[in-house]
Amino acid sequence: MRRKSLFVVIVMLVALIASAPAVLAQTDCKTVVPPSPWGPNDQTGATNRVTSAVTKAAAAEIQEGKVVVMSYPLGDGIPLFGTRFTKTILTATTLAPGAALGENQLTYMEDTWLSQSHVGTHLDGMGHIGRKDCYYNQTPMGKFITQNNMTKLGLEHLKSFATRGVLVDMVKVYQAAGKFKGNAACKKPCLEKGTVITKADIEAGLKMYNVTLREGDILIVHTGWGNLFEQYPAQNAVYNSGEPGIGKEAGKWLVTQKIVAVGSDSWGVEVIPGEDPKEAFIVHNILLTDAGIHIIENVRTDLMAEEADRTKRATFFFSMTVPKAVGLTGNFVAIEGIR
Amino acid sequence: MDRAAQPPAPRKGRRRVCLWAGLASCVLLTWLAGGRALVAGAQERRYTVAFANLTEEPGATLEGTGFTGREVRESFALAVRRYPIDLVVYDNHRDAQKALANVEDAIKRKVDLYIQYLDDPATNVKIGQSLRAARIRALAINTPVPDAPLYTLDNRAAGRIAGEALSEYGAKNWRGLPTIGVLVGNLRAQEHRIPDRAQGASEGLKRHLPALKITPLETQGNPAQVAPLLAKVLATHPGTKVLIAAMDDASALAAKSALDSAGRLADGAVVGQGVDRTVHGGMNDRKEIDPSNRGSIVIGSVAFYLDRYGYETLPIAMRMLRGETVAPRTVTQHRLITAANVFIEYPPYDMN
Repeated sequence: MRRKSLFVVIVMLVALIASAPAVLAQTDCKTVVPPSPWGPNDQTGATNRVTSAVTKAAAAEIQEGKVVVMSYPLGDGIPLFGTRFTKTILTATTLAPGAALGENQLTYMEDTWLSQSHVGTHLDGMGHIGRKDCYYNQTPMGKFITQNNMTKLGLEHLKSFATRGVLVDMVKVYQAAGKFKGNAACKKPCLEKGTVITKADIEAGLKMYNVTLREGDILIVHTGWGNLFEQYPAQNAVYNSGEPGIGKEAGKWLVTQKIVAVGSDSWGVEVIPGEDPKEAFIVHNILLTDAGIHIIENVRTDLMAEEADRTKRATFFFSMTVPKAVGLTGNFVAIEGIR
Repeated sequence: MDRAAQPPAPRKGRRRVCLWAGLASCVLLTWLAGGRALVAGAQERRYTVAFANLTEEPGATLEGTGFTGREVRESFALAVRRYPIDLVVYDNHRDAQKALANVEDAIKRKVDLYIQYLDDPATNVKIGQSLRAARIRALAINTPVPDAPLYTLDNRAAGRIAGEALSEYGAKNWRGLPTIGVLVGNLRAQEHRIPDRAQGASEGLKRHLPALKITPLETQGNPAQVAPLLAKVLATHPGTKVLIAAMDDASALAAKSALDSAGRLADGAVVGQGVDRTVHGGMNDRKEIDPSNRGSIVIGSVAFYLDRYGYETLPIAMRMLRGETVAPRTVTQHRLITAANVFIEYPPYDMN
């Protein structure tokens, strides 16, 4: 009898092991993604670098009180990635005759905003990009998603972005180096899609305005490509067809500079088509997945580039609010550069 | 203090040795630094490479696939970003005189290397002679240039991959059921080496089904001919499973359509050749081979990678320019692309 029970237990164990290939097949994220420098429980990433000292030092950039808009309008018809969409619907029922409320005839309006979170000028959060099922800080994301959101690495874990912004003007760098190739659809000079922005290009851009990156900075790369966004919807197809952007070498170098985020006036910040046709958005992996450095897409950079050219100063106080959106992978943002 | 542990007092001769050693070290360090600078200089040296494309005639497809010359040229424009190369692009217009004029221009420009893509062996011989006389190295694509390394498709291997995939599919899913094989496409197009492709496909089809009867359907390059030809086969083989090795993707899609029209989708499996953008797309641009279309009877297509010729040949060119030895023949690594691996092989980045 005892022997029979033992046999049954062994059979059940074998069946259990055999029926759990999916569990056993889960990726060992420690071999796929490096650990966070802020410890095994970190869900914040590079905004850990925005200390009070960093914010205080950045405040020194506010010298004229001038506010420069650095985000594009958010609305139906703007260029969108893949299957993303936006649809706004206005609810204005109380404007109908007899629908106002009370003796004071109160009326109100509200909006329904249907969209994905990664539209317009937006921030990529820690949970946006992974390698296999492994995300920032070796997180096996399969264990931390529900049908509605993530239970780890959501935007609610981010700290402040109140830090120094540094603009590099790649149009001027390429023009100065005599290697500028534009796109006819741009109404202002823009780099052609597929242009790989290298470490040397960024260094040249910093040198142009006598700036060096420091820990906690946010780097903004002006390529001119955003001019196509500004022309929406007329040039959406061209804007979406590719973009100039940072390459792998530059991405890896930026990680060593301990910055908080990289933004650009393009939909993906990195060069598209990429340097290797068999790699997908590899700079996203290098920055976000491996280093917790945010990517900010569709940043309006032309006004700050003009400002930098006029004043010969390319630094500013970076003002951006990210909602504490629980479990979200990213969100549209408003950015102002304050000088 | 133990006297033995103390360093010996420097004598005159020893001092001289030290002086000479120091001097030698200085010379060595200077040489090393200079050498490094030279190496760095060599890495920074830019080369001029000419690429003479087969043809960029709009709509003209190459090598019996759906790829165009524009896609080939674009692959060079993208791949060259990785290298210290200034690229000069010519269009041979599939014309001997134009090809000869192109090479003369490149010789005048004193390019460092010439990549020749022309399906005219006789003209390639003349071009090879001109380049040799001008001491310009050459690299050939698909059709040899004498003494030049060759990068080439392997049509027979590609056909075999398709045939084996179909054979495996048939053996796995239709074991014991009456099954026939079909080869469909521009089967006699020697200029595109389709007979090699067809031979490989026949060999592959018999891999797991050695008794399989194979019917060739000649379309003379017109995919519209696939439907009537295949309809006859289907009509004469009711209740029979059909493994279709299409010689190109347009024929593969036409074969699927013909099976659908005959109400015989469940009786067919198709593999194409090429994998251009007519059969694979992206996030928005969904096509036949797509992760969301895993149930398709077009189980895949064999990749020819004409859209990656730049990525494939420029590394060879760089090795030649650096004086390294390269293989006399490099063959395209054809691969079966299916719904399961299409986004790995061709990661989409489209937004449109």
